[in-house]
Amino acid sequence: MRGEPIQAVNVGLQTMVSGLRQDPYALESVHLCVITFDIEAREVLPLTPLESVQLPEIVVPQSGATMLGAGLELLIERVDRDVIRNTSDRKGDWRPLLFIMTDGSPSDLAAFAAAVPEVLRRGFGNIIGCAAGPKAKMEYLQQLTSNVVSLDTTDSNTFSSFFRWVSASVASGSSSAGVSQSVSLPPPPPEVQVVV
Amino acid sequence: MSRIIKAKTLDGQPVEFVDEIIGQGGMKDVYFSPDRSYVVGFFRDKQPAHNRDRLITIAGTFRERIYNQTGGDYWKNVYCWPTGVVEHEGRLGVVTPTYLKHFFFEHGSVRNDFLGIKGKEKEGKWFASASNQNRFLDPRERGDWRNYLRICILIARAIRRMHAAGLAHSDLSYKNVLVDPVGGNASVIDIDGLVVPGKFPPDVVGTPDFIAPEVVSTSHLAKDDAGRKLPSIQTDRHALSVLIYMYLLYRHPLRGDKVHDPDPQRDELLGMGERALFVEHPTDASNRIRPENLRPQDLPWKDTAKIPYTCTGPYLSPLFQRAFITGLAAPMDRPTADDWEAALVRTVDLLQPCQNPSCVQKWYVFDNSHRPSCPFCGRPYHGRLPVLNLYSSRKEGQFRPDNHRLMVYSNQSLFAWHVNRNVFPNERLTDDQKRRVGYFVQHQGAWYLVNERLPDLTDVGTKTPIPPGGKVELTDGRQLLFSREDGGRLAVVQIAEGH
Repeated sequence: MRGEPIQAVNVGLQTMVSGLRQDPYALESVHLCVITFDIEAREVLPLTPLESVQLPEIVVPQSGATMLGAGLELLIERVDRDVIRNTSDRKGDWRPLLFIMTDGSPSDLAAFAAAVPEVLRRGFGNIIGCAAGPKAKMEYLQQLTSNVVSLDTTDSNTFSSFFRWVSASVASGSSSAGVSQSVSLPPPPPEVQVVV
Repeated sequence: MSRIIKAKTLDGQPVEFVDEIIGQGGMKDVYFSPDRSYVVGFFRDKQPAHNRDRLITIAGTFRERIYNQTGGDYWKNVYCWPTGVVEHEGRLGVVTPTYLKHFFFEHGSVRNDFLGIKGKEKEGKWFASASNQNRFLDPRERGDWRNYLRICILIARAIRRMHAAGLAHSDLSYKNVLVDPVGGNASVIDIDGLVVPGKFPPDVVGTPDFIAPEVVSTSHLAKDDAGRKLPSIQTDRHALSVLIYMYLLYRHPLRGDKVHDPDPQRDELLGMGERALFVEHPTDASNRIRPENLRPQDLPWKDTAKIPYTCTGPYLSPLFQRAFITGLAAPMDRPTADDWEAALVRTVDLLQPCQNPSCVQKWYVFDNSHRPSCPFCGRPYHGRLPVLNLYSSRKEGQFRPDNHRLMVYSNQSLFAWHVNRNVFPNERLTDDQKRRVGYFVQHQGAWYLVNERLPDLTDVGTKTPIPPGGKVELTDGRQLLFSREDGGRLAVVQIAEGH
């Protein structure tokens, strides 16, 4: 991803963080961690409480591999290290939410295949896959979750509504719950298509 | 320039709105009227017929039932009640008054509003949280403890009135109540989901933190299962108790450190449901909030040893016990909104201003059973303080204690509801009853009651009348008759000693 799309992702993330900070419930509970994957996986923002988050500018190389498998491996490592689990005498964290966004398909297929069951074993509250743009392959994301959305275009409008939806999903822990318990995510905006 | 759309409510009133979404809720897109005096919220999804009927009844019959009575205008500030229902291009919409100005942040957060919340709605969660209070809110937004009591009174009153009309709110939470701690205002919003048993069933189970234990523990059952518990007046009572606890103590009554299950989701289900346990349970300490786990921003509020619920005084404490000890498992034991309103109103009479000028809470419930001090900042009370113990006559010449006392401080006012037990400060007060009838002052070390409008005021011991314009010193044991009317009260002065 480069050019306008990556700019739009950066702006979208910024908007998401400032939007979440205006939610008193999120401000008390939300921590964010950002991992990027291109020719390598990098933790660009270690797990940080919302109010102290300072987002780095996400830059990506002009071309090269998409090491999603390595990204998941790093994710597993960080989840194991940073997420506090309930023990018999100490409350832990809520189940984490995982959002994975890619505009391509994994280059490190073996690593990816090995990482998928490990990710699923980590007890995420929800995993949302986002296939951004025409070249994104959904079938890989679908191995991780049935919640896959696709963005037809990768302009700033689309990303901005995608990140608004992500914020709403993160904040939904504090809103009214329906009588029939099926919906756990707010409905995505029209620019974001749910892949069934 | 956005287009202005003209429509009509189902009962024929004209409605206009600007075709530009100003906000999105869980189910609705919201639009302003051109003059911004009301909003129209359109449901994004098609609504079932019973919801359409529900909305029509809420904006019609239910509204009239509450507003078209004596004192009806009072509710304008306490509810944001739908006034009409519209159908436009196949979408169902509700017309609601715009929130009053004091429900939007004027200053917002600290450090020149670094969170950017200036102008946003004052959602209750900003205030019902120690860390939001301590770290984020601009001190000019925080308000003092007396105003939080006032806020609780208004919420209890609003819910009492709804329940009296047979309606359950069904989703009472800090999201659905706007509060203004600066001015001591509160308004119940999102009234379009009112529940009437057997007629309009609930759509939501509520908001986490406020869902009653029986609703949580039966949430896995189907909607029509006989064992499934859904929102009702009784679950509103649980939510109301939680709200009051949170606004007065900035912590949640059931969120302690007991771990019920290694899986956080299951742990939540048990801790808020079948194994719900009060963090301050007198005999079962297993769900205490452990001070060693607390972050600095949670202090002192989450330290229940430092600020126990009992610092809310003798009227509120027993209600918290009923709500969170017996009432968790036995919904019939829960205090009613009426119980809360009465206890909160009486608690106002126990307040003392804190003598520490930099105390954030500024007011506290004076406890004269031991060495009195402010529970929030720790400043001891210095000096002598008159307490008036109120009695009233059920039969001529016989006085019985009312379990009601009035703590005196400089410029404290005496009102009709202190003078007569049949007067209660609520929406039915007449304008005349809202004016004070006397006040208290300290002058050269002595305390006085100055009579302004009490024709019968008498010092019982000496049988001396104190006419309006006169004053009487408050000395230990002095008995003052406030009124000879039916329900008239006698006050016995007690002098409490501080440090």
